[in-house]
Amino acid sequence: MRVNRSAFQGRLTSPAAWALCALLLFLFLQPAFAGRYSLYLTIHILILSIFALGFNLLFGYTGLLSFGQAGFFAVGAYVCAKILIAVPSLLLGLVGGVLGAGIVAAFLGFLSVRHTRVYFSMLTLAFGMMIYSIAWKWRDVTGGDDGLVGIPRAPLELPGLSLSLATMERYYYVVLVVSLLAIWGMHRLVRSPLGLTLQALRDSETRAAFAGVSVRAYRLIAFTIAGLYAGLAGALLPPLENTVTPPIAHWSYSAEPVLATLVGGIHTFGGPIVGSFLLYMIKDIIVRFTQYWLIWLGAIVVVLVLGFRGGVVSIIEQALQPRLARRVERKAGTERKAAAGRKTK
Amino acid sequence: MDNIAFQGLIGLSLAMYLWLLSAGLTIIFGVLGVLNFAHGSLYMVGAYLAFTFYGLLGLPFWVAVGLSLLGVGLLGIIMERGFLSRLYGIDEAYQLLLTFGFILILDDAVKIIWGGVFKIPPIPEFLDGAWSLLGRPFPVYNTFLIGIGLVVAVLLWFLFERTWWGRTVRATASDREMANAIGVNVPRIFTGVFALGAMLAALGGALGTPVRVVAPGIGAAMIIQAFIITVIGGLGNLKGAFVGSLIVGILSAYGTLFFPVFELFFIFVIMAVVLLIRPQGLFTR
Amino acid sequence: MKRWGGLTFVILILAWFAVPDRASAQCQLGVPAIKIGVQGAASGPHADYGRQIEMGATMALEEINAAGGILGCKLEMKFMDDENRAATGVRNARYLVTEWGAHFMVGTDSSGVAMAMGPVLAELKRIHFFTHAATHRLTEELVAGKGIKEIVRVSVPIYQDAIIAALIFKDRPEIKRWATIGADYEYGYASWSLFKDTLKKYRPDVEFVATAWAPFLTLDFSPHISAVMAQKPDAIFSTPWAGEAVMLLRQALIQGVFDQIHAWWQAMGGSVDVLEGITGEVQRDRFKGALWATARYIHNWPDTPENKAFIERFKKRWVRFPNYSAETTYSALFIMKAAVEKSRSLDTAKVIEGLKGMQIRNPGGLRVFRAEDHQFIYNVPAGRPVMDPKYPIPVLGDLRVFDAKDYYRHPPFTPVVVTK
Repeated sequence: MRVNRSAFQGRLTSPAAWALCALLLFLFLQPAFAGRYSLYLTIHILILSIFALGFNLLFGYTGLLSFGQAGFFAVGAYVCAKILIAVPSLLLGLVGGVLGAGIVAAFLGFLSVRHTRVYFSMLTLAFGMMIYSIAWKWRDVTGGDDGLVGIPRAPLELPGLSLSLATMERYYYVVLVVSLLAIWGMHRLVRSPLGLTLQALRDSETRAAFAGVSVRAYRLIAFTIAGLYAGLAGALLPPLENTVTPPIAHWSYSAEPVLATLVGGIHTFGGPIVGSFLLYMIKDIIVRFTQYWLIWLGAIVVVLVLGFRGGVVSIIEQALQPRLARRVERKAGTERKAAAGRKTK
Repeated sequence: MDNIAFQGLIGLSLAMYLWLLSAGLTIIFGVLGVLNFAHGSLYMVGAYLAFTFYGLLGLPFWVAVGLSLLGVGLLGIIMERGFLSRLYGIDEAYQLLLTFGFILILDDAVKIIWGGVFKIPPIPEFLDGAWSLLGRPFPVYNTFLIGIGLVVAVLLWFLFERTWWGRTVRATASDREMANAIGVNVPRIFTGVFALGAMLAALGGALGTPVRVVAPGIGAAMIIQAFIITVIGGLGNLKGAFVGSLIVGILSAYGTLFFPVFELFFIFVIMAVVLLIRPQGLFTR
Repeated sequence: MKRWGGLTFVILILAWFAVPDRASAQCQLGVPAIKIGVQGAASGPHADYGRQIEMGATMALEEINAAGGILGCKLEMKFMDDENRAATGVRNARYLVTEWGAHFMVGTDSSGVAMAMGPVLAELKRIHFFTHAATHRLTEELVAGKGIKEIVRVSVPIYQDAIIAALIFKDRPEIKRWATIGADYEYGYASWSLFKDTLKKYRPDVEFVATAWAPFLTLDFSPHISAVMAQKPDAIFSTPWAGEAVMLLRQALIQGVFDQIHAWWQAMGGSVDVLEGITGEVQRDRFKGALWATARYIHNWPDTPENKAFIERFKKRWVRFPNYSAETTYSALFIMKAAVEKSRSLDTAKVIEGLKGMQIRNPGGLRVFRAEDHQFIYNVPAGRPVMDPKYPIPVLGDLRVFDAKDYYRHPPFTPVVVTK
């Protein structure tokens, strides 16, 4: 039975759009009813979402698996931390962190995108670990293994307005707004010609090259944007935790956005966000019952990779698809009847 | 100076130990095209099994090592046949992710089975002690490692250059379809190679138990060095892995002696430089 | 696609909130139970220390509850693995206090985790009794310097690792050349610096001839050992701990180190897991009397009925000897009990007041509270690992006992200059 999907798109009354509005409402109202820890956890989920979103631009849309994104996350975090310690302005810290990460990503990306597949992955791994070893060894600047401590949760300084962010609720709103802007930005990006070009590159490098697309240039752009997003995610961390330590640059931390995207769904836009939430949820719940949560996470990864490469989003989509088809069928059926009725009149 | 030469020999024993781990990794990549992230976990399981047979059950050391090889070989067969083989032909990123999933599972599994505390068996008598070299005591154990590394290198060379199986594997590695066309059972070759690689990792793990603790996480500590070595030598290049091990092992020994601050950083720089300039490795076939 | 993502999200959020959590009932201090959050490293090669923290806390909790609790209130505890990582430790602390409702927190192995937690404790207004993390900076900088009152340390810091070594070896005129194989992070650097500064005061003739630094999770120390031995030291100051200490000692043995040096100071060598790991070597006297060690509590000292009874109860409960992190955590709970009983309140500020002037007998001896840096002062001897027919594993024998006031640093504190 062919489903006329176009009858569905763009309709404000679609259930998915309602669900999205409900979600946004929930997020904005959460401080009213949830405890500080829930807010704290949600901030972490949002940070990972931004991180994973950038990663997925590179992986899901451009086909490059990077194991070094944590390096850019760390650059964003450390630069923001150093700025906040010197000048207590959150805006400056965030901008500094993003720019710092972007510059490093552009440079390392220039070197990395000349290769693909395993070589690319290994190269990004090496670069990420180089950043890790700098963070660990350069005590004078990065604080070495102790990291940077006592980072203030600096106020948001805008022209004419200085907003203190000392409470978890206030900082939560800042992170929420920043995250939504980042998500919206990425959404526009993947639907833009740039996004489509990247997918073309992923699907067939030769064809894209023949069509006149500069493969390396586009990959570099994707890599840099992924780095910018990683840097933004990293920059949001120091004001939350008041400390920044080297493990955030380690390759095992680079695995976080990879796992989040895998779990949520690689070839979907919302996949990294859903996956970030799930990753936290899985650990949070499993840890209440057993300390052996890694084996459960590993089992989930194996099952997903073998059977559900589209991640949780695709699982749910497949479950709901028949119901959608019926709905549209019914609607199409009623419309046909109405049209037929009009004709006979 | 004698001390510098001595440090170099210590580095050589380090290199031969790393060679055991890297050989398996590079063979698996060369033939199957899979970068086995879980290689360090196989190393770790090999160590745990050797500890169990030798340290807990009191079997002779060589018997324990042999049993550990068999055990991990079996594990490797299960991993490849049961899981990895389903992903051939699909984007290799998923193969990487699958092996990553195995790391998580194996790391917790050893904790569940053996507990979280580190283990160490007594040192076998024939490996204890030292002999005088360059005026200083050089451990019997380190000498033993150098010997084993060389023996493994020779055996592997013999296996791949002179035996029928080895030649078939090389044929499969260079052209899978052609090998299939002339009647080679490619899936069976893949399983065999993966098992071989796993057993080499286990050998490293098992032989490490006299002087290294067996604990969760020891695999992860080793895998990065193995990656670096296989990259420097060229992914899939066995001779390259041997030379790469020498480079990394000896350099890190000298790093400890002369410039400890930069050691970690520079080893990754070397890795990145090789990947950038000669991704096929410093030693092309 | 995005719409389905959103819908999925909503379903999942509802599922998350649907997962049940705890319910409650009432006691004398106005709470259902006194909640204690416990953290330690329960994963990785140092996992035994977190495990011992958990064992010590559980046993103390059971004993306190069996005796009627604290002012009639039962104790409840929750152990979380901090993975030796600052980020995890801080997140767990926030969870334990804001979500689970912990009134107090106990534990923590890693100095890095402790230093990150300090400011967060001030924000959360909860006391954390530190029972292992050894950096002097936790109390010298964060308490005495920055006034974070919520930090209380029950275990002896690196004064034990560094200063006692200097006090012992200053009287060995034949030991002039020292080298270190050190842990390549703050604990290792600070201990070495403190040791050098202290020894130099007594023995200006001493030289420090070689250093080698081994990062966390080093498995092969042979290059470090051979690098250091090339300079022919008389003695070695060694800070890697737990499994790393065992490996280091084994690898040093096969390089013939113990035939060449007069002494090897293994800072936390008196820890139960290390002693278990070197049993075979001690039985065969492979260290030739050169190995010295200490800990933050050793089970064979003090030789009091209270300590002996504690060991017996612990062995019966857990079939293992208590490590130092077990005794310090066990004692921390009793310290907490005493403070709450004195202040008759769970309010953080009042309990801190209740700590002032406290002197308490624990299995490890008498602990005395020092208000300037919130340290509980007590002493632990150092000695040589030997076999004792009364015990299946080595113990520290040939004990050198020093009075705590002779090796604890005193306020006002001058920063320790940390050089590698």
